[in-house]
Amino acid sequence: MDILIMLLPVLLPVAGGALILGIPFKSERARNIYAEIVVCVTSLAAFCVIAYHPEGRVVLYSISKGFSLAFRVDGLSVLFAGMVSCMWPLVMLYAFEYMHHDKRGGAFFAFFVMTFGVTLGVAFSANLTTMYVFYELLSLVTLPLVTHYGHRESMYAGRIYAVFTIGGASLSFIAVIAATVFGDAGTFSYGGCMNSFVRPGIIQASYLLAFLGFGTKAAVFPIYYWLPTASVAPTPVTALLHAVAVVNSGVFAVMRTTWYVFGPDVLVGTPAQEICLALSIFTLVFASVVAIKERHFKRRLAYSTVANLSYMLFGIELMTVRGFTGGMTHMLFHGIMKMLLFLCAGAFMHQAERNYIFEMNGIGRKMPVTFACYTVGALSLTGIPFFCGFVSKWILMEAGAGAGTALGVAGTCALIAAAFLCAVYSLSVSVRAFFPIAGREMYRNGKDVKEAGVLMLIPIVVFAVLTVVFGTAPGTVLDFIGRIAAGQI
Amino acid sequence: MLIAWIVFFPIAAAFAVFLVGRKNEYARDLAGTAVCAAVFLAALALPAVKPSFGIGGILVSGLHFRTDGFRAVYGIVTAVMWLFTSVFSIEYFRHEREGLNRYWFFVLVTLGATEGVMLSADLMTSFAFFEMLSLTSFTWVIHEETPEAVRAGYTYLFIAVIGGLVLFMGLLLLNSAAGTLAFSELSEAVRASDRQGTILAAGVCILFGFGAKAGMFPVHIWLPKAHPVAPSPGSALLSGILTKVGIYGILMTALEALAENTVYGRLIFILGLVTMLLGAVLALFSVNLKRTLACSSMSQIGFILSGIGMYVQLTAGGFEEGAEVALAGAMLHMLNHSMIKLTLFMAAGVVVMNLHTLLLDDIRGYGRNKLPLKIAFALGALGISGVPLFNGYISKTLLHEGIVEGAHELHEIAAQLHAAEWVFLFSGGLTFAYMLKLFICIFVEKNSSEEKQRSYEAKPACMNAASTAVICGSSLVMAVLGQPAVMTRIAAFMTHNEEILEFRAFTLANLKGGAISLLIGAAVYLTAVRHVLYRGGSYVNLWPEKLDLENAVMRPLLTRILPGFFGSILSVFGENRLLRPAAKGLVFIGTFAGRVLCDSMDALVVLMKKTVVRERRSVSPDIGKVTAFRTVREVTQETVGSVRENFSFAMMMTCLGILIVLMALVLLAVFHIRL
Repeated sequence: MDILIMLLPVLLPVAGGALILGIPFKSERARNIYAEIVVCVTSLAAFCVIAYHPEGRVVLYSISKGFSLAFRVDGLSVLFAGMVSCMWPLVMLYAFEYMHHDKRGGAFFAFFVMTFGVTLGVAFSANLTTMYVFYELLSLVTLPLVTHYGHRESMYAGRIYAVFTIGGASLSFIAVIAATVFGDAGTFSYGGCMNSFVRPGIIQASYLLAFLGFGTKAAVFPIYYWLPTASVAPTPVTALLHAVAVVNSGVFAVMRTTWYVFGPDVLVGTPAQEICLALSIFTLVFASVVAIKERHFKRRLAYSTVANLSYMLFGIELMTVRGFTGGMTHMLFHGIMKMLLFLCAGAFMHQAERNYIFEMNGIGRKMPVTFACYTVGALSLTGIPFFCGFVSKWILMEAGAGAGTALGVAGTCALIAAAFLCAVYSLSVSVRAFFPIAGREMYRNGKDVKEAGVLMLIPIVVFAVLTVVFGTAPGTVLDFIGRIAAGQI
Repeated sequence: MLIAWIVFFPIAAAFAVFLVGRKNEYARDLAGTAVCAAVFLAALALPAVKPSFGIGGILVSGLHFRTDGFRAVYGIVTAVMWLFTSVFSIEYFRHEREGLNRYWFFVLVTLGATEGVMLSADLMTSFAFFEMLSLTSFTWVIHEETPEAVRAGYTYLFIAVIGGLVLFMGLLLLNSAAGTLAFSELSEAVRASDRQGTILAAGVCILFGFGAKAGMFPVHIWLPKAHPVAPSPGSALLSGILTKVGIYGILMTALEALAENTVYGRLIFILGLVTMLLGAVLALFSVNLKRTLACSSMSQIGFILSGIGMYVQLTAGGFEEGAEVALAGAMLHMLNHSMIKLTLFMAAGVVVMNLHTLLLDDIRGYGRNKLPLKIAFALGALGISGVPLFNGYISKTLLHEGIVEGAHELHEIAAQLHAAEWVFLFSGGLTFAYMLKLFICIFVEKNSSEEKQRSYEAKPACMNAASTAVICGSSLVMAVLGQPAVMTRIAAFMTHNEEILEFRAFTLANLKGGAISLLIGAAVYLTAVRHVLYRGGSYVNLWPEKLDLENAVMRPLLTRILPGFFGSILSVFGENRLLRPAAKGLVFIGTFAGRVLCDSMDALVVLMKKTVVRERRSVSPDIGKVTAFRTVREVTQETVGSVRENFSFAMMMTCLGILIVLMALVLLAVFHIRL
């Protein structure tokens, strides 16, 4: 019985999504309703799994002692699965309006729904092997979404995406082997499952490879390039996948390998930890600087995602409980606010049919709700109190300053610097939208741009409200995350 | 509950007022003013009730508020300022239509946030509300949306954001070194901590962050630009209360955390002196009414900072009594300056709303026959210049007394403090000089164009009854507060120190200090202003354009030098220079390795064919050369084609196989459980 329950949220969207390609829908509307129902049922199923909370591991299939496919529900998977299950149905709504009249909408929604199942598979995995399998599947199933428009740019982006993610994953395969051989078959257990007597050099080397491999999806410095390139995909994809699901599954995988496979005990103070920390610190400053330079709206946000993912990696790599808490909190909160920002960006691009930031003078007057919500997201991203970004940044910086290492303090300074850069690149858009210099407004007399439709506004407003709610009253969430970080659930 | 009402009611009401404003503008103005009045009434109860209030589970460590003498007084001052400016703004904005809903919305939110800072019981709460008001007050600066306003707004936002982040860093450092941010626990925690270096660094960060809002040198650059472009009620609030929010933060950190740190005290003191002098000089040179007032604000902030600096130095030296005098001076000067700038900026607002210009030459002679305005402005000027019997005198005397005390007690820096005392007196003199310049220009002299002068004098009425009431009402405060009996009571209440009641303002030594200042001021006015800054019948701006900290140093540094530096470093790593070649290199190596492997297999095959498995050669049919070539090509094509087809076919079969296996696995698993 457990197996059925665990499999349902994973298999249902995969099967349901594949069926979209097969069923001849009479109208776009019918297809949309069908897709929304599949996604909602999946979310419900995911919540059922979380609520039912099967004890221990549920083994699907085991080839040998060291290689088995198994599912498990623990705190971290609840966090990740809960987060994506809340977001998917909302973004679907947005996607219906955004992809309206798209000829290849069927294929789009098919893969979009399938991705949901695979992401949940990553979340519920019980060991490194299972996670690796779903992680690879995630790269494959999202590839058609990146290349959706089929023009030259998006084909290029797709190629880059495939090369980076699949190549990156192959790096982490080595770690999977190492964990299978040296650890308890890579089974996730808080604090690590490594046998203590193996040679530390091999452990560190394979951890580093795992970090780089899973870090590919988390867009860490030398291998971040795919993420901004992939922003040519339709906005629902960039919003949900390249700000939340896919990139966070990279971060999630790093969390799993660091805290549940290798364990901080064998890694703290080693060169491996320092290299990872240094890489993430460098990435967050670097990406913030590049984001300022960028003039394409969505690419700018994508660079900001690169930076923010490194905030999380920084927290994880500190390898303190506080840092881990910060990493998880930022994963959740960044998901909410970046989603908000991307949805606003998409609304702008869809309504005004423009892409660049210098084309935004005065757009705030035409699309007040969208850009008010955008401003909420931008303030939150900068780390202003009463918005959720502040909470997670505070915890991260506190962890950095309290770690007692030079790199920790350096990281805290870097976070401050990045926050400033973030204010520049995100708030300047708001200022431009609402306070155009007199005489340079683009939207006063020109083409009539309307506020986005209801379906688009619902998710935008919901996420804006969430940003404020979690920013003012993060208590419950922080308690929950704190307990995960301390290994209690 | 009282505090919750004062802090959160205006924020909540802001939304309601905004919605009302979309229906009816008149109702909106009334509702906004009513909200301010309600907050004012509630604030009046603060000194009596002295409530404290906390909400857990919000933000990171909860929000905590408390009331003591100083906080209670400032809670009331804040509410008074808002009430007066909102009454005045009804008339000020009567011809404007656009952006007023926005203005009212942010005014009310800022009211709540300012009260939140002023009543906060820990630095985290202060910080939260401080960030809020930094961002909401941005809309005042940019309200007019002219190019200058937008530029000033960017500068303001920029300084606000960078100040906020540095402050954030300071809080983090302080929290990690002392383990707490609550004001009541900080002094103990700091004394017990063994990381004094970190705490000093935290103090500097906090000073920078709050100083950015206070208008402290070198982060004052937003102040002279933002005030002239903001609407007058907004500039009154910016100058009267938002700068004090910054001062509040500096003061509280100095009082609770770093009271025993001489280095910190000296830093604040020196920055205070520089700010004081620079502001006064800038104000003297300015030919724009509101810019003069703005620079004057900066200068007065310098006075307050010097008092705080003296307090810390004296406490660190162990001279509690002198320290208390300096502290009382600083707190009183805060209060006085708030009230004075409220009056002066509203008076300036009257000029703007009638004439729509701020240049001294244009507004000259405007106030000659406007008695209420004249009295209000005169009282403000007298107060700020430190003329005996008006409010600035007592606070400046206390500040002066603090420095004299320091020069007396702190022997190792006595000489420097004597010099500082002269800087102090000279800046006080400059204050008198520039206020005299403004007053004579607006209210005594005649305009150089007679036609203008006639039109100015034709209309004696310049404001409605409500505005007259608030402007004159606020100006009367100068005279009331100027009475030593009143002032020392307030000081004793604010500092919780009864000894200050024994302070005698009108002793010979104290009067001498005031007199020296005023004489210097008169001399400067008669020489420098009349002969240098006033030429050919008009006021000239002799301040060199290039000597502008923002344009000369900060903007180039932040827009060119730093990005250039980092850009050149980063361009090495950029996508084009390093990553592309690296990626290409990797691909090349991969291909090459694959090729080598592949070819070596071929070689092996060839080798085996040549040696071990010799095939029997069949005799090839005799064909011509051209046909042979064609055949080879066809054969190749065929082979390649089949290979291609086979490959995709194999892939498909593999995929199908995997699918079948997967399905089987699932079924097996299910079946297994069922069994």
